[in-house]
Amino acid sequence: MIVVVGLSHKSAPIAVREQLALSQQDIPDFLRGLVASEEVGEALLVSTCNRVELVAAARATNDDLEAVAKACVRAIGERAPGVKTHLYAHSGAKAVRHLFRVAASLDSLVLGEPQILGQVKDAYELAREAGTVGPLLHRTLSRAIRSAKRVRTETSIGSGQVSVPSVAVDLARQVFGELKGHRALLVGSGEMAETVARLLAGSGARILVVGRTKEKVEELARSVGGEGRLWNELRSSLAEADVVISSTSAPDFVIDYEAVHAARKSRRGRMQVYIDLAVPRDVDPVIEKLDGVYLYNIDDLSKVVAQTLSARSLEAEAAERIVETESQNYDRWAGAEVATPTIVALRQRLSGTLRYELDRSMRSRLKHLSNDDRAALEKMLDAAVNRLLHHPTMHLRRSAMERSLDGVGFEQLAAVLEDLFELGSASQVDESPGASIAPPEVESSELPKKTGGASG
Amino acid sequence: MTALTSIAFYLGVIAYSAATTLFFLELMRSDATASRAVWATRLLAFAALLHGTHVVSASLLTRVCPVESLHFALSLSALVAVVVYLVFQGRSRLYAMGAFVAPLGLTFLVAAQFVGQSASLELPFSRALLALHIAANVLGVGLFLLAGAAGIFYLVQDRRLRQKKILGTGGRLPPLETLDRSAHRLLLAGFPLLTFGVVTGAVFTQKLGEFEGLALARSLLGYATWLLVAGVLVMRRLGSFGGRRAAYGTLAGVLCLLLVLFVYAVQPAGGPPS
Repeated sequence: MIVVVGLSHKSAPIAVREQLALSQQDIPDFLRGLVASEEVGEALLVSTCNRVELVAAARATNDDLEAVAKACVRAIGERAPGVKTHLYAHSGAKAVRHLFRVAASLDSLVLGEPQILGQVKDAYELAREAGTVGPLLHRTLSRAIRSAKRVRTETSIGSGQVSVPSVAVDLARQVFGELKGHRALLVGSGEMAETVARLLAGSGARILVVGRTKEKVEELARSVGGEGRLWNELRSSLAEADVVISSTSAPDFVIDYEAVHAARKSRRGRMQVYIDLAVPRDVDPVIEKLDGVYLYNIDDLSKVVAQTLSARSLEAEAAERIVETESQNYDRWAGAEVATPTIVALRQRLSGTLRYELDRSMRSRLKHLSNDDRAALEKMLDAAVNRLLHHPTMHLRRSAMERSLDGVGFEQLAAVLEDLFELGSASQVDESPGASIAPPEVESSELPKKTGGASG
Repeated sequence: MTALTSIAFYLGVIAYSAATTLFFLELMRSDATASRAVWATRLLAFAALLHGTHVVSASLLTRVCPVESLHFALSLSALVAVVVYLVFQGRSRLYAMGAFVAPLGLTFLVAAQFVGQSASLELPFSRALLALHIAANVLGVGLFLLAGAAGIFYLVQDRRLRQKKILGTGGRLPPLETLDRSAHRLLLAGFPLLTFGVVTGAVFTQKLGEFEGLALARSLLGYATWLLVAGVLVMRRLGSFGGRRAAYGTLAGVLCLLLVLFVYAVQPAGGPPS
């Protein structure tokens, strides 16, 4: 079973969440550090604008989920001590259900938003590349993704949405009316910021793009039909802009009070709208004190979008039912998985014994047989083992599933089998991530284009 | 003629009331789909037509020039505000201000019925100048009332946006920049009229020798209005004033103007305007 430890828009405001924002480059080391601990065997990190969550599993030799959760809290606490009081932790079936709800966008600020599924897949891929995903998280994530896909295809939860970019543009219209002739400044890059810029350009606004790298700025300016400028022109560009959209990955504010105050002065008091899509935030919130300056961060915009939820509440109920069914299926699967080491050991015991006898016979009485005959005999033995073990395997899995309900049955059966067939040594499982069942890669076609921004 | 006056009055009241209701319903709608409040605007235009008919027929009936009587002056000011609004409302969602203009027309149409008429006096100055003085004030009051409405709407919209209430009730208010620009232009248009009214009023006061009591209060309030409006315009020009501060300044000026009207209303009949 797994644990989920983290914080989200429900437990922490943006000022807290941004303390725990990890860059894509930092995440692999963070995860490797975590799985190097005694308690944690597998881990991945889902990090979006609205949530940072560690999904972790215990080592195969240790099923103490509480210890895993504590290790996760400790790792997060070391990274950002200020967030500890905002953390939540789920374990076992509750953690699975939470993860399924997250992937299905049922825990998102904007119910049904499409980005979170891609972000969960990205999180899995990043952890897989870092070597911190094992069989349990692989199977859990696969099922979470499958559940999320069912929600998207079997309900209309994602349709008729007001998006963060569309709210940002509506906001600009409420301040300026027609946007034709107005100037919008895009600071940094980011899928959502670019979408806002394109929508503004479509409404007739002229776009300026400011960034640190000349090539990137020019490319971005071309893609949004705007004019590119370098970072040292940020202050002068601010004075020209009616709408400023900021989305950099800078750890500190890139637009401070002094810059906005100076811009406002040279604009002779004309209004400005700042849309801060970055986490950590790019724009110092103090600027809101200035007359005629309006600042909206990702939380503000997402909350507005979330107001459109009521129309989708029926779809949400249907989606919750799907998630419930899928998480119950997972519980059954996870229960049955307990029987796997015993089944594998039993199979190894039978196959090993038969092959040993076959080898002996091949060296003596059957040494006249050709290689083809030997291969045919091996196939026959495998088929016989499968046939012999079919019923016991099903029975063991069933009793393991029932064990998750009443806590008896499977242990007795497993103990008897271990005694009868001396399985003790055969049921030891290699505990390194990915050792027993190599997690196949998530098909690239399954991964939606990353859109970034307000989700999860 | 009496029947025409009465019919115009009662129908005007009904049309203004209906327009007011429709404008408020439009304002309270939470969805952002564009609707131009077509029926509310048509009703308001109809009400303005009846209002004008009432003013003309009533002045013919009483043989009083509309601009020489407070009775008509108040009514005319509101009519000016309504007509100016109707001319400019189509631009940039200003139609939401109909929720202010329609009840304003209704209030002044009804209130003017209860304000005493000026008696015909022997005046120590030209009647034509007096007519110009009142006409300028009537137009100026109409424009300033609209500027005040724009200021109020600006502050409401500013508050909504600062509280991050982008959607929901009130989402149909005009854009901030439009409100700010409208208030500025209305003040600019009304300021020369106000200046003329204040200067001619000072001349009349001097000739009538009225330097105490309500007449003095009225004069002082008139000067205060002029100073406030002038201050707002100058500060805006210098670029150090705009947005909320300009809206508050405009509202302070309009408040002084309303106090001037109030002094007129409570002044004993016969006092000349200033």
